[in-house]
Amino acid sequence: MHESHHVVAPSYLDMTAQEITNDVLERHHSPGNQFWTVAMILGGLFVVGLVGLFMLVSDGFDNKSNWGYYAATFAYVFSLSQTAVLVSVALRMAKSHWRRPLARISEMFAIVGVYSFAMLVPLLWVLPSIEGRRSLWFEWPGNTPHIWDTMALGSLVICGLAILYFASLPDLVTDKEVSGKSDEDVSYHPLIPHWFGTPKHWQLQKIVLGLLGGFYFLMLIIVHMLISVDFAMALIPGWKDAIFPAFHAINGIQASIALIIVTMFILRSTSSLGKYLELEQFWALSKILLATCLLWFYFWWSSFFTYWYGRMPAEIGVLKYIMFETYSTVFLLAFTMCFVIPFLILVVNVVRKTIWGPTLAATVILIGTFFNQVRYYVAGFSVEDHTLHVLENLPDFTSPGPIDFMVIVGGISGAVLTYMLGTRLFPIISIWEIKEGLMLQRVRKFMKRDIRVLAKPE
Amino acid sequence: MQERVRISDSQVNTDLTSSIFESSKLYWILVGFLALVVLCGFTAAGYMFNRGLGVTGLNRPVMWGFFITNFVFWIGISHAGVMLSAILRLVQAEWRRPATRAAEVLTVFSLMTAMTMPLIHAGRPWRVAYWVFPYDWARGIYPNVRSALVWDPSAVFTYLTSSILFVYIALIPDFAVLRDRTTGVPHIIYSILSLGWRGSVRQWKLQIIAGILLSAIILPIFVSVHSIVSWDFGTAMSVEAWHSTVFAPYFVIGAVHSGVSAVVTVMIILRWMFHWENYIRREHMDSLAKLLIVVATAWLFFFALEFFFGLYALEGPEVALRELQVFEAPWKWYFLTFLITSYLIPVPMWLIPSVRRNLWLMAFTTILVNVGMWFERFIIIVPGLMRKQAFVFTWGGYTPSIVEVTIITATFAMVSMLVLLFAKVVPLIPIGDAKEGMILHDEIKIGKVMVPAVMREE
Amino acid sequence: MATETINHKWGMVIDIDRCTGCQACVVACQAENNIPLNTEDRFRQRRAIEWIRVERYWEGEFPNIKARFIPILCQHCENAPCEPVCPVYATYHNNQGMNVQVYNRCVGTRYCANNCSYQVRFFNFWEPVWPESLKNQLNPDVTVRSRGIMEKCTFNIQRLRKAERVIEGQRGERITDENLKEGNFLPACVQACPTDTLIFGDWNDPSSKISSLKEKHFVDGGRGYKLLDDLGTQPNVIYLKKVDINAEHKVDAHA
Repeated sequence: MHESHHVVAPSYLDMTAQEITNDVLERHHSPGNQFWTVAMILGGLFVVGLVGLFMLVSDGFDNKSNWGYYAATFAYVFSLSQTAVLVSVALRMAKSHWRRPLARISEMFAIVGVYSFAMLVPLLWVLPSIEGRRSLWFEWPGNTPHIWDTMALGSLVICGLAILYFASLPDLVTDKEVSGKSDEDVSYHPLIPHWFGTPKHWQLQKIVLGLLGGFYFLMLIIVHMLISVDFAMALIPGWKDAIFPAFHAINGIQASIALIIVTMFILRSTSSLGKYLELEQFWALSKILLATCLLWFYFWWSSFFTYWYGRMPAEIGVLKYIMFETYSTVFLLAFTMCFVIPFLILVVNVVRKTIWGPTLAATVILIGTFFNQVRYYVAGFSVEDHTLHVLENLPDFTSPGPIDFMVIVGGISGAVLTYMLGTRLFPIISIWEIKEGLMLQRVRKFMKRDIRVLAKPE
Repeated sequence: MQERVRISDSQVNTDLTSSIFESSKLYWILVGFLALVVLCGFTAAGYMFNRGLGVTGLNRPVMWGFFITNFVFWIGISHAGVMLSAILRLVQAEWRRPATRAAEVLTVFSLMTAMTMPLIHAGRPWRVAYWVFPYDWARGIYPNVRSALVWDPSAVFTYLTSSILFVYIALIPDFAVLRDRTTGVPHIIYSILSLGWRGSVRQWKLQIIAGILLSAIILPIFVSVHSIVSWDFGTAMSVEAWHSTVFAPYFVIGAVHSGVSAVVTVMIILRWMFHWENYIRREHMDSLAKLLIVVATAWLFFFALEFFFGLYALEGPEVALRELQVFEAPWKWYFLTFLITSYLIPVPMWLIPSVRRNLWLMAFTTILVNVGMWFERFIIIVPGLMRKQAFVFTWGGYTPSIVEVTIITATFAMVSMLVLLFAKVVPLIPIGDAKEGMILHDEIKIGKVMVPAVMREE
Repeated sequence: MATETINHKWGMVIDIDRCTGCQACVVACQAENNIPLNTEDRFRQRRAIEWIRVERYWEGEFPNIKARFIPILCQHCENAPCEPVCPVYATYHNNQGMNVQVYNRCVGTRYCANNCSYQVRFFNFWEPVWPESLKNQLNPDVTVRSRGIMEKCTFNIQRLRKAERVIEGQRGERITDENLKEGNFLPACVQACPTDTLIFGDWNDPSSKISSLKEKHFVDGGRGYKLLDDLGTQPNVIYLKKVDINAEHKVDAHA
């Protein structure tokens, strides 16, 4: 049935472990001029963003409606980067054999977590107190969300960094060996304990990654709920939506898989390391991407349908605000780009099993997700009176001004720049996982065909 | 570790068809007893039709009670079939093999049983059966498509039809085995049912394609069925407890939790009753338990969303409802039982590897889960109706009558009896699948260890 | 046939200030509409059928305790939640602003009762039985419902239809508050109420009492309100608040 392209085994199956190590580390140490040029451009854009942020701050933290687009950018960066780490964690839990080349690519987004945490800080001054209005925190003190959201996101970021660290540990050690750096070398010394790669060390690493991964998974879902509810849902009167945190999380998962696909595509186009990222990775991720597109629609429909059928004035008000009237254009863009277009691209079997197909769908999803975040966060921050129970007079559409554009461009560029700088610290391809993967598979003959045999250790 | 035994093909045939050709006394005693219970149920239902719904515990405001709880429960159990057969087939999980047929059969019979519930709980059941069908021969009107109660039969019948098709297609090779081992009337029937199966390469290829296509098609049906059943409640905006946007995915994931647990119970019973120790092995229980941990945790997340966002607006009836559920007897005992049995006991137990491989404990925990899930439906439906709006004068209670308890017990007996009787007609472990699993099994020598492995065709 | 077809929109105003909780309306409704006997057993089973009921709430604590009464009947909502959920169209909104129940089509799924925020729908759990002597008081203009059928307040539609036949059809006049009252076409509960708590009329008739009450009380300082207004059901029944010069602000009522 799959006669078009037989994916039997990775093309680098013939390379020895040493060759793979040398190949990856060589590219890791000398990324080329193109890398630094792009970094400089991104750095410049980031400075533009900083200027925009400075102008926002000087305008005062009380003008909440100015901060809408900043909040949307923060949510976008946090959603995508933190959920991207989850992709590696989840695939490791599921023991997927094809996750190995992209594991480090996904874990590297933990570094962007620090950047997103920094983006949260100004928002803590803008977010109004919960006194007198509905919130997730019921009757607790007015600054409860500020404290708890910071702690939650902070612990998530730290956990993500820990996962990145422990997952990279064997590669960092290898790097030290291969590059001939001694124990006293400053750039690596504080980071690496005495790792010798004994069976006990490997076992310990596996357990630590398992525990951290489990914690990360739970914490991520909680942080999605806290950020989406405190910064969007609770700010819009009459909006009581039990599925919204789950919807926000699914959007994050969909967008982060898209982000990983796009990153893989960029690596393939710009670096020789792309040879490790083959059709198998794109195809497997595209299936999950299709599933998340359908889930996106399902969760959106659940929420919309209950409101629309019930015809309660408070809920119809919310629908009019974020879907049908004020933010209707944004919603239409988000819906088309998060569901309609990617679904139509990915549902065609032949297109799904290519490299350009999932990448195209992924790019569209990345843009659509930004529009989706805009309609929640900008809408939430544009509401004047949060103590109301029904949105009777819909606030006007807040169109983005020059400062908003500066902040959006700068915010996203800064995130990408952080990621790129992170690749200087950790190799972008996880060497030890690829070596382990090669050890666990063989190509054998079965009847007349070559067949791949995958070991499933318990 | 795996407990595989090398078995020849003919031995597989004999073993797996043993349930059809041999039967113990115990089997017939069990079936007889179950038939008796079913008969009691029919009697109770007849009495109820004759006297009116007054013989139940239903009243105003609690107009839906045990019967609807049971309806939702059995629809939930029916979701195991698709989860195990379709989804696990699409992700190529080897450990699904013994479970698929039992799961699909359980699906079909629990769906049929679930469908009897809305028929008998109506005020004038002799009219329900034909008035919700879309035909207009004399009355001048069609059923009201705005009503969730009309979407219900469409969804459930679609699911029933596709499940029957699914079971049947997968059964064709097994019918051929039975055709070749029987004489007389059974031989004729099996010959017709096996549609001339010869086991040629082309037929196997078509069979596999059909299986994959059906798996993909049945997935959206599976999600939509329980979503539509959940909208029986979700579209009722007057019942505060039911007007929640999260109901659709919450019910679906609860159904998967309850259904997969039911399949584990059924498999353990089948293994014991028909001596299928070589086919239903501890490693299968191990993998199923790990799946259940993930599903149960996802379910817990949706439950938390439903509970906390129910309280979110802190309005009178909502708060009163949650207080009733958590603090007032006897509802607080039902609530506690539900939480403990559906998550707090089973999942921590399943985290321990030796528990996962212990059949008694697996049977115990999965039965516990289903007890909990029955309570879960009950405490959503009835307390919700007991505390509808702020008209405290109209708040009520509910105590089930002996008629309702008899009928509910009879439904459990009916499903068990039908599954057992079906074991006399078809092999409840798919013979073709079992043999395919044996063929695709392989081993890889890594270092000094032989690691079990699986062959992948693409 | 009348030369001019008026589209009526029947409605009610209930002045809580006047209600004494005597339940004459409840009794009258029972008698007019062939409602099954509500024995003590029925009340204990919570299956008593009261198309109009008087809810009694206690306000305050002893010795400053007060009883508050509110008669609740079908609100005949414009945006009725009970209508879309009936699978067989046994309940729908007619062109006179009323929510009507078609007994013949009802199969008794009881979803409408669940979805009624005011809990004004009643189900026949038992087959209705009247002793021989009481069969003579059954109203021949109203169907007797068997078990398994949902019922509720109909604004005495049998009287309204008769009013249309007699006043508009035979006499060719417009229906007004006066000729409704003269011809005994007002609903039984409205007729029975000793304090004029219940006022019935046509929202589409600007000269009707209920129209003028609505105009008067739905302004600042007026006593008008709708039950469960924030649910958006748009009821055709409006209430006028009780005036209690001794009451403190917002005392929590309890049953």
